[in-house]
Amino acid sequence: MYVALATAAAWSARPLLALPDLVALYLLVIMAVAVRYGRGPSVVASALSVVAYDVFFIAPHYTFSVHDQRHLLTFAIMFAVGLVISHLALRIRRQEQEAEAATLRVRTEEIRSSLLSAVSHDLRTPLAAITGAGTTLRDHSDLTAHERRELLDTLCEEAERLERLVANLLDMTRLEAGALDVKREWVPVEELVGSALSRIEGRLDGRPITTEIPSDLPLAPVDPVLFEHALVNLLENALKYTPAGSPLEIAARRAGDGIELELADRGPGLPEPAESLFEKFVRHAPKGTRGVGLGLPIARGIARAHGGDVVAANRPGGGARFVLNLPLGSGAPTAVAPELEASP
Amino acid sequence: MTEAGPLVLIVEDEPPMRRFLRASLGSHGFRLVEAGSAREATAAATSHNPELILLDLGLPDGDGVELTRRLREWSRVPIIVLSARGHESDKVQALDAGADDYLTKPFGVNELLARMRVALRHAAEVGRPADPVIEIGALHIDLARRLVTRDGAEVRLTPIEFRLLAMLARNAGRMLTHRQILQEVWGPGRADETHYVRVYMASLRRKIEDDPARPRLLVTEPGVGYRLRDA
Repeated sequence: MYVALATAAAWSARPLLALPDLVALYLLVIMAVAVRYGRGPSVVASALSVVAYDVFFIAPHYTFSVHDQRHLLTFAIMFAVGLVISHLALRIRRQEQEAEAATLRVRTEEIRSSLLSAVSHDLRTPLAAITGAGTTLRDHSDLTAHERRELLDTLCEEAERLERLVANLLDMTRLEAGALDVKREWVPVEELVGSALSRIEGRLDGRPITTEIPSDLPLAPVDPVLFEHALVNLLENALKYTPAGSPLEIAARRAGDGIELELADRGPGLPEPAESLFEKFVRHAPKGTRGVGLGLPIARGIARAHGGDVVAANRPGGGARFVLNLPLGSGAPTAVAPELEASP
Repeated sequence: MTEAGPLVLIVEDEPPMRRFLRASLGSHGFRLVEAGSAREATAAATSHNPELILLDLGLPDGDGVELTRRLREWSRVPIIVLSARGHESDKVQALDAGADDYLTKPFGVNELLARMRVALRHAAEVGRPADPVIEIGALHIDLARRLVTRDGAEVRLTPIEFRLLAMLARNAGRMLTHRQILQEVWGPGRADETHYVRVYMASLRRKIEDDPARPRLLVTEPGVGYRLRDA
């Protein structure tokens, strides 16, 4: 193909170019082929170039025969140079690939160590607070009741934070290793939402929460433990990034062949691009907000392990909406109670 | 403190956990026996005859579920299982093997004391004629007359819904697995149809909860079962 192009180009430029220029043109093409496709194709290109050069440009035209014996030497040199060029080009290509691989290794190392430092920072901060509060309580007997209370609250809150962090790290590791064991059961969406809400009850601080779940919604084929965890992560994310007391709206509905579960807030909305929210350890928090940036990636990971996904978008009128969609698959048991009642 | 506090056997191999349990339970008047392995636990249960057992599922020399099963062969002592998050199937196995309740580590001491009180109360009720009327919040359940009222107004339940609620009410505060509920409400042979329980629980919630999506009475423990909150 390349050789044909070169031949066509050379043919059209014939009046302008001398024979040695044509040879150079072919060599250029051989080099391009070598860089692009490697040794085999470049050797073929060398051979084809010699043939094309002979057939089209050496008298008598359009035959393999050659009148002037000097051209045979030109062919041999052309073929040899072609081989050398292809060999050199190949070496350059290989070196480039090695350099690329090395750069990639360095970058992976960099990412890994920055993750490690992010994680260890987030592990150490609560540990430092716990150690500080604990030793103060143990070693100082002259604390006021208020001070003691503050230190005890610190102990409990930081320990809880640590527990959540460790749980998230474990889940992320399991998700990435593909070691997540999804035990599907048919579960009413209302029950999933209800248990997720009661899990975070203590942190809701009286926020207005509306739930809109149609009673005829089909059962969802999910692992109830994992799925509740995904919902809790979405809810925690909303609690963290929207002003205290602002409303949260939860709605479920049928969408196409599946179920869609939406969590909408009236917070500041999403940063651009919204997709970056789902990258591990990426946080868009104002300074002082705590967390590692694992909640949303885990929620998405769990949804994907169920064949669904989580997507985020800004909401008309302000705020963000996160939509968890889930395919229903087949064989959904009917949720109509009287049918079961007939055979108690 | 009081000398007559209930005797609790703590089966736990981690020293920090034992120290925490010793300190917090001791200060609430419980008398304590400790065991660090399944073997020690069996011996202590036989020789001390405790009134309650706190059992860590991850023991070094054996399976807490197996220990529960063996204890149940000869004893009805309430067993509360302590286990880490993410081990839901272990919890279900332990409950199905006869454990009375479980707590997920880490837990707070108030939660622990509440579960212990419920377990001790249920153990004390065994053998006594069951109270035919159960009151939980605004809910009034008359087991004998099969009548349920909420804030004085009758709640119309189907026969299965009533059996389900009655079972939960008799075990108020306790954890019930899907399997236990299926066996008692639907009878044997349906033990794997967990969605029956879920569907009926949903319709029961619509009848007795203010907001079925934010249940206050019928609490779900994902992957394990249900509990009727007895507050």
